[in-house]
Amino acid sequence: MARMHFKGQAMFRNLSLISVLLLGWALPAPASAEVRIFACEPEWAALAREIGGDKVTAYSATHEKQDPHHIRARPSLIAKIRRADLVFCSGAGLEIGWLPLLMQRGARAKIRPGTPGYFMAAQHVTVREKPAVVDRSMGDVHPDGNPHIHLDPRNILPIARELVKRLSVIDPDNSAVFTANLKKFDKEWGMTLKQWEEEAHDLKNMPIVVHHRSWSYLIGWLGLREIGSLEAKPGIPPTASHLQALLKKAIAAKTRAILRTPYDQAAPSNWLSERTKIPALVLPYTVPRDAKSGTLKILFDDILVKLRQANVHP
Amino acid sequence: MTKRYMRAVAAIAVPVCLASAPLAAADKQDLQTILQEVKALKKTYENRIATLENKLKSLEKKKASAAKPATPASSSRSIKGNSFNPSIGLILNGRVSSFSEKNSEISGFGVGEEGERGKEGLSIGESEINFSANVDDKFYASSTVAIVQEDGSDKIELEEAYIQTLPDAGLPDGLRLKAGRAFWTLGYLNEHHSHADDFADRPLPYRAFLNKSFNDDGVEISYVVPADLFIEFGGGVFRGDDFPSGGSVSGLGAWSAYARIGGDIGDNQAWRLGAYTLHTDVNSRATNEDSVTFIGKSNLYAADLRYTWAPTGNAKDKEFIFQTEYFHRNEDGTYNDSNAATGNVNFDDSAQGWYAQTVYKFAPSWRVGARYSQLLAADTPARLTGSALDSAGHDPSTMSVMGDWTNSEFGRLRVQYNREELSNGKEDNQFILQYIMSIGAHGAHAF
Repeated sequence: MARMHFKGQAMFRNLSLISVLLLGWALPAPASAEVRIFACEPEWAALAREIGGDKVTAYSATHEKQDPHHIRARPSLIAKIRRADLVFCSGAGLEIGWLPLLMQRGARAKIRPGTPGYFMAAQHVTVREKPAVVDRSMGDVHPDGNPHIHLDPRNILPIARELVKRLSVIDPDNSAVFTANLKKFDKEWGMTLKQWEEEAHDLKNMPIVVHHRSWSYLIGWLGLREIGSLEAKPGIPPTASHLQALLKKAIAAKTRAILRTPYDQAAPSNWLSERTKIPALVLPYTVPRDAKSGTLKILFDDILVKLRQANVHP
Repeated sequence: MTKRYMRAVAAIAVPVCLASAPLAAADKQDLQTILQEVKALKKTYENRIATLENKLKSLEKKKASAAKPATPASSSRSIKGNSFNPSIGLILNGRVSSFSEKNSEISGFGVGEEGERGKEGLSIGESEINFSANVDDKFYASSTVAIVQEDGSDKIELEEAYIQTLPDAGLPDGLRLKAGRAFWTLGYLNEHHSHADDFADRPLPYRAFLNKSFNDDGVEISYVVPADLFIEFGGGVFRGDDFPSGGSVSGLGAWSAYARIGGDIGDNQAWRLGAYTLHTDVNSRATNEDSVTFIGKSNLYAADLRYTWAPTGNAKDKEFIFQTEYFHRNEDGTYNDSNAATGNVNFDDSAQGWYAQTVYKFAPSWRVGARYSQLLAADTPARLTGSALDSAGHDPSTMSVMGDWTNSEFGRLRVQYNREELSNGKEDNQFILQYIMSIGAHGAHAF
């Protein structure tokens, strides 16, 4: 017993020595001047780059082919969040399955909820489809409403403005840069928005079927007509009986396209497409993770071109 | 100019004054009556206004009292009192098993009750009830109670009851402290509740070396290094009551340490590698239905590797998981098997165990998996020959295959086949059909 304790103490001493060495190796990298942003989704990383410019580094935890509802709390993500100065996510329950776990494991005080470093975009726009009652039998419903807020481009500006507020608190020295970037972005986005809305005028009331309710904000913005969704209940894979019922409805409504994201299962929309001759359309859900090939503007340009093509050639 | 002006004013003022004097005298009485009339009029109007004001006031009062019942306070159930209740989750787990061998003994090892083969026939496994919530801004608390059937009666087992620091607790970033009873950091599976396992039973090294899991009372600290690579290390001190310890006298009989690293390979692959050690003081550890006793020191070293690959990035749709763990145990003390009347036999030797498993999710709801696990017993000291600790040169092994169907994140059905050869020449063919369902709050599973 006594011997064991003695040995234990020696081991502890060794361990603490190793810890100190490890710390010494990991810490000296001088805290880089840029604000490190942990974005849950690529769209927020893209916006952070627009507003932050070279004063920030933005990392997106997910890529454009991933379903942000279901992400594993991988070790690499813990490492990223451990060093983040700002967590920038959709919120409204979209990341409920993985973000809290990462936050807990990363144990970073400056990004905990309630601080400027914890930025949930959905809190700064009007959230759609907030259910009055929730029950698991309703599928994977979000009690806080539909979280796919970035697909209404009108939501981008209020979020960008809030981002500047947060960044200015985190990095006051560069506050002027963020404000100037916002001003530029604000102007450009306002003009582009007008242009899109003019171009998309003929999309009003275009009948469509969706896979998951990922498109509600886009539908709301463009005034598309949602005939139904392939998932009878959110998050529950489509069933044969539900698809049969939807088939008749889709034909009757002269549906122009069956929309899905790149990460939705292809089979249900292909099934419906084969039987109805309505084209199944994969629309980009977000920007590519590496921002060189994608910005928010390109995302909406792309979506509008694809929708208009589908509308013209049914 | 001014003179003429003054004269003109006088010319006007004088006749006016002269005229007004007789007029006042004549109509003094008329004026008085007019004044009285005006006063009366004023009074009636004042009265009217007062009654109108009163009417308005009473109307407003009525309106206010009419609006009151419409406020939610009285008309709907107030749930404010519940919003601070902890999250509650319930895991239900039931199975039916069939075994070809009547007995199942892992030869060469002292095995605790939970390390034994499960029950044959219909049974409910551990049903877990979990309560968890943030205590305040600095602490999180969680408690998991399992209801298990042992020796024919239902027993409540406190699996976990711990508090843990939150990022706001004032500790340096990356540092966390956990105290109480918990599934401590040791290998891959130990931290996880068994309902999250990929197989219906734990692999052999967990059964032999940890009596399924190590959840002693204690304190653990962990630290995540701020680096691009995931680097974490930590350690704990424990009471020394739970297997592989036993019968703690000092109340401070075990300690552990660990380090692990992890990262991504490209977009869709992830890995984690860990090394662990657990040192315990064993004052008295009874196994094999209390017939085998060990007293001494038990040192356990473990390593684990987990690799996941989701071809599209979406583990929900398709995923391949490879996982392996290796255990090395050195024990120095005395063994005693009362059934074999060995008396106290000096023992200082090592045993090993390992398993490797792959699980493949080929469709969102369907997975298949295979696992091989093996134990390498220590050499049998002469005086333990014929006892439960005599491996007779046999290395216990199990080959398992499983398939499961997951309807939602909250419900899973599984079928598993095991071919176990735990002691020489005894091949046990096992079939297990299992359901695992969870209701209420269900925390996210760690990597």
